[in-house]
Amino acid sequence: MNNKLVILLVEDELAISNFISTILVHNEYSVIKAESGREALRLTTLNNPDLILLDLGLPDMDGIQVLKDIREWSNVPIIIVSARGHEREKVEALDLGADDYITKPFGTSELLARIRTAVRHSHKIMEENHPETDRIVIGGLSIDYDKRIVKLEDKEIHLTPIEYKIMTLLSRNVGKVLTHDFIMKEIWGPYVNENQTLRVNMANIRRKIEINPAEPKYIVTEVGVGYRMVDEV
Amino acid sequence: MLRGHLKIFFGYAAGVGKTYAMLDDAKVQYQNGVDVVIGYIKPNSSAENMALLKGIPALPYRKITDPKACYEFDLDAALERKPKLIIVDELAHTNHPGVRNRKRYQDIEELLNVGIDVYTTVDVWNIESLNDIVESITHVNVKETVPDYIFDHAEKVQLIDMEPDEIIHRNEEILLTRDYMPQLREIAMRKAADWISHHSRVSTDKTTNTKLLVCISSSPSSAKCIRWTARMAEALHAPWVVVYVENNQHERLGEESKKILQSNVELAEQLGAEVATLNGKDIATTVAQYAKLSGITNIVVGKSRNKKTLATLFEPYFEDKLISLLDNIEIHIIPDNEIKKKYRRFSMQRYKKKVTFSLKEALKMIGILAIITYLSSILTAFNFGSQNIILLYILAVLFISRVTSGYIYGITASILSVFLQNYFFMEPYNAFQFLRKENAITVFAMLITALITSTMTHRIKTQAELAQVREQRIEVLYEINKKLLVTRGLDHIVTLTGEYIMKLLERSVILYLEDPIHGGKGTLMLRQEDPDGDYLQSEKERSVAHWVFANQKRAGAGTDTFIEAKAYYVPILSQGNVLGVIGVACHGDKTLNHSNRAFLRRIGSLVAMALERQRLSDEQRQILIETEKEKMRSNLLRAISHDLRTPLTGILGASSAILENKERLDQETHDKLITNIKDDSQWLIRMVENLLSVTRINEDTANVTKTPEAAEEIMAAAISRIRKRFPNQNIRVTVPEELLMVPMDGTLIEQVIINLIENAIKHSGSETLITVLLKREDDMAVFEVSDRGEGIAEKDFPYLFESYVPDGLRTADSSRGMGIGLSICMSIVKAHQGIMEAYNQQEGGAVFRFSLPLQGGDENE
Repeated sequence: MNNKLVILLVEDELAISNFISTILVHNEYSVIKAESGREALRLTTLNNPDLILLDLGLPDMDGIQVLKDIREWSNVPIIIVSARGHEREKVEALDLGADDYITKPFGTSELLARIRTAVRHSHKIMEENHPETDRIVIGGLSIDYDKRIVKLEDKEIHLTPIEYKIMTLLSRNVGKVLTHDFIMKEIWGPYVNENQTLRVNMANIRRKIEINPAEPKYIVTEVGVGYRMVDEV
Repeated sequence: MLRGHLKIFFGYAAGVGKTYAMLDDAKVQYQNGVDVVIGYIKPNSSAENMALLKGIPALPYRKITDPKACYEFDLDAALERKPKLIIVDELAHTNHPGVRNRKRYQDIEELLNVGIDVYTTVDVWNIESLNDIVESITHVNVKETVPDYIFDHAEKVQLIDMEPDEIIHRNEEILLTRDYMPQLREIAMRKAADWISHHSRVSTDKTTNTKLLVCISSSPSSAKCIRWTARMAEALHAPWVVVYVENNQHERLGEESKKILQSNVELAEQLGAEVATLNGKDIATTVAQYAKLSGITNIVVGKSRNKKTLATLFEPYFEDKLISLLDNIEIHIIPDNEIKKKYRRFSMQRYKKKVTFSLKEALKMIGILAIITYLSSILTAFNFGSQNIILLYILAVLFISRVTSGYIYGITASILSVFLQNYFFMEPYNAFQFLRKENAITVFAMLITALITSTMTHRIKTQAELAQVREQRIEVLYEINKKLLVTRGLDHIVTLTGEYIMKLLERSVILYLEDPIHGGKGTLMLRQEDPDGDYLQSEKERSVAHWVFANQKRAGAGTDTFIEAKAYYVPILSQGNVLGVIGVACHGDKTLNHSNRAFLRRIGSLVAMALERQRLSDEQRQILIETEKEKMRSNLLRAISHDLRTPLTGILGASSAILENKERLDQETHDKLITNIKDDSQWLIRMVENLLSVTRINEDTANVTKTPEAAEEIMAAAISRIRKRFPNQNIRVTVPEELLMVPMDGTLIEQVIINLIENAIKHSGSETLITVLLKREDDMAVFEVSDRGEGIAEKDFPYLFESYVPDGLRTADSSRGMGIGLSICMSIVKAHQGIMEAYNQQEGGAVFRFSLPLQGGDENE
């Protein structure tokens, strides 16, 4: 039996679809191609892919709708492929359950890294019933969830409770983009709209864990979308 | 919107069948498929009429219960229903209180204004200008009248005629006008004929060189002159002016007379006259001057059969004076048949009003007389003659008239002087003796002299006061005009006008520049004395303002429309458009008098000019912006097509080289060509991203949607993208300890930073250090990118941020450079209300910096 991971590629532009599938096949993935929303939905139910690459601009229906329909019954990792400048669209997709997004034009390595992260996440959730590992290490940064200690190059970093909560949230979703709204809801509850507070907290965290806050290594900003903790430095 | 057409069914008596003819016509229209609605027909109409009504849809009557129950035409329902044609009987009807308009013809005008055609009926005696003629025939004064312009401007007039005998035969009960029927019939036909001749003229402008002027006074008989002139003007197709001269008599007019004057002016306006109020002591001279200046050919004056009184014995008659002043003008004299008694009563009242007693003034008078008496006794002691004493007393009277207000003191003083002089300084001393021959003459002469002196002084004084008031008004108008001339911006114009009106009329003012129904808020100027001005902004008042916008006519307190409103509203008109509405509070029954209204009108025209000027300059600026934008766009297009061609040629060449020479290419050349394609494509992508940024800037406002962003995050995002592309570049980034939240479009500012760093890398090479700095300077966040490269060439400076540089002026290096990039940076920063600049450092290398304001983001996004 074929052990390759199956990726459903939903893209109506033939040239792009061709080049992505070439890259994916060369990197030991098996690729199914869909050119429209309906076809994508049909192939998802039929083949149960391990990951979906979804372009939001489709000829027959809105990509967002495809995302909603799939999310109604499946937790398959979905990566949105979108054009630059459509931040609102990205945020919407992420809030509707997309796992990640990648902005056109993108490089091969970037695409593969995103796919790896997404697959790893889904495996984590599927394989371990207790996803709560007790610690995480990224480069020089380590977080010990049991002891609630954050260390940078073996030196303990003092974080306020809110800052620690944000760090935990980002590190539990390492590699994934978390939207501003999502973070705010998780930390402050559903009725608070404290955009400014989040920025201030992030700025403080950055000053504590980054060498140069203007060139962050661990938590990067996705302009207009949210924050992402990198999974490898 | 197209105005609706008015068809009038016109008759000379009740019962000629106007309503029948109208309904018959309506029925035909209805059967032809026209959307006809019956708006109002008298409920007790004849059986024949009722039969015709059958089948045509009708609007329900509006039931009025207060103050007494009656049924009225429901105007709002008609406007709501908006049929093609509506039937509204009785044009001259006066609405009951509680209905918006006082008169039905106003209702009909509103219907016409929204484009609804109207059929209506009217009788000859209801025509305003014929009112007095009909009255002279029938001896019945008809109160319900319709202004002539309604009739004259009707698109169709159908004369319904019937033999008088037949009318009487058909309607037994109509006997009232039986005897006058032939005459009324004649007048009606003439009026209809006038209408035809009026409408058959090709051009509607009044071309004849006849121009009529009618002099009016506060006498009720002036109405007759006005009507006569209106008819004359209509017949001659001539323009006409109504003139009222405000002299020192004016201030003395009683309330009653002022009211009559006001109603005369209103009548004139209704009949389509231009009304002018002149100021001058002598009526004839003033009128003559005005007539000369405005090219008047005919003057109409009313003449009462006043007997010459003592006072006017030596004054020539008004018309004689006019004739002597104006030799080329025709003068028409209209006899005044008013009953004299009425007038007397007025004059009595008039003088009663004048006599007011003030202790202070009286004391002044007594004081002066006492001093003079004392002085005279001293002089007598020194044997100065009694003639000197007389002179002294006359001096005293003169003095008293000067320092007191009102006739009464001067006159009293003159009489008292006579007594005092007679008592103290005339033989026999300390006793009255008028009967002695020499004394009698002295007393008489002195009394007359004192009286004349007193009245003259008083007159001079009132005239000076009048002149002062007049001058003040003119000065104010001049001042407003001067200020409006230098005022820019609608808000300022409105505030200035409001303040002046408030100050001068001593009332609260509200100004609308936009129809309240379309969201116009209005600027309220509240006087400190009436702290509660909320009523001016109530729904009801706003609907009045809206009506004025829609109908281009004044309304509110003191007019015929929306009588119950608490303010008086006038439109600011310019070339048939309402530019705004001025509302003046008339709280507590203080309606505006004629001169205040005239003043408002004058201010209105000044404001209209100012607004018009403002609009023109706004338009001009808009055009300038448009052309600027157009220029920018075409420059951008030219630059793009130039810049895109190069990499595309490269890609095309490289790819076809690979495809066509598959076997012959060695691996190295092959890879090199592929790398070229990749580089060119990347360049193209960056270019397209830059172009896409421009589309995010709002076309019309040159603005962007701003959200507060952490400046350092944006900077970090830009740096990380640069790092991906130039992994080996030496870049030093510094951000302040303080978190700077800047309202911006994050994606665009990221683009700006990327462009600037890329530009720096390109001009300094990959080896040198590039410094990127974020800092705070006062209320600005400053982003700075500096390099150690060759700096900016002097000749590039003028075109640094231009998208299109004339060929040959461009340095060879920048031909495939960031030409567009920098210009896009500039427009993005400008759209953020930021500042962008570039300069060379002394130690070498260029610095590009831009600053964005820290405040002023739209928090709604």
